[in-house]
Amino acid sequence: MAATIDTGLDFFRQVLALRAARQEILSADIANASTPGFKAIDLDFAAAMQDAMSQRRGSETAPAAPKRVWLVDDARQLPAANVTGAAAPEFVKYQVGSEVTLDGNSVDLDTEKVNAAENAVQYESAATFASQTIRMLMIAITGSGSSQSGGG
Amino acid sequence: MSLFSTLSISGSGMSAESERLSAVASNIANANSAVGAGGQPFRAREVVFQAASLQGEGDDGDDPSTTGMSGVKVAAVVESSAPTHTVYDPTSTFADDKGYVQMPNVNPVDEMVNMISAQQDYQANLEAFNVAKTLAMRTLTI
Repeated sequence: MAATIDTGLDFFRQVLALRAARQEILSADIANASTPGFKAIDLDFAAAMQDAMSQRRGSETAPAAPKRVWLVDDARQLPAANVTGAAAPEFVKYQVGSEVTLDGNSVDLDTEKVNAAENAVQYESAATFASQTIRMLMIAITGSGSSQSGGG
Repeated sequence: MSLFSTLSISGSGMSAESERLSAVASNIANANSAVGAGGQPFRAREVVFQAASLQGEGDDGDDPSTTGMSGVKVAAVVESSAPTHTVYDPTSTFADDKGYVQMPNVNPVDEMVNMISAQQDYQANLEAFNVAKTLAMRTLTI
């Protein structure tokens, strides 16, 4: 089997990181709903996700890591380090089309609430899929679907 | 982890909104205070909000790439510059020689609108806080 055991999980790690980053941005918009001159922003999730995935594919075709040993004292063996979470500033953009009030604020509270709720559902579903993937791996390892997960 | 900074952003929003609410409460309570600090009639107070980076100072909240982390803070509490209104009441202790009393410049309608707005913003922040909390708890059960 060529794939490493965390291949499927890497995708969900990326999704969760980006969804959490978007949730933070939307919360910041809501917190600043009455701040004069504040312009609402949002994370372009699709573009950020695509970028992250293409980076990952790029790193897969790169020369293979010497040997996969799960030690944490070597930075090269921690692929989690390249998860682009909140650090995706080029995909954070101003929202357009919302009404700007007299004090220069462009936050539409209702839109923000809807976006935050939608983002939360997406986050939860990604978390559920990740759980299922882990359970699938556990079944593959233990050979049964029973709850002998052993803390996995 | 960004979910925890989400919590602190919503927390900053809630504390700012409650400060605004207490300014409103103070204004309404003093709507008839003919004498405030320094013998002058009470003047309505307003809070001024400012986007503030929770990570560090120096973020003016203008650049979208850095405002991703911005919470909100109360930059200043300013006194309203609206003129005080004058009431004719020659029997009052505070009447001038023509019998007029200077009363506070609190506009009850403004205050009520401000109060409703603060309440709604507070609720929105609380909602965002609860969602972030739910997500963080959900992440623990992956």
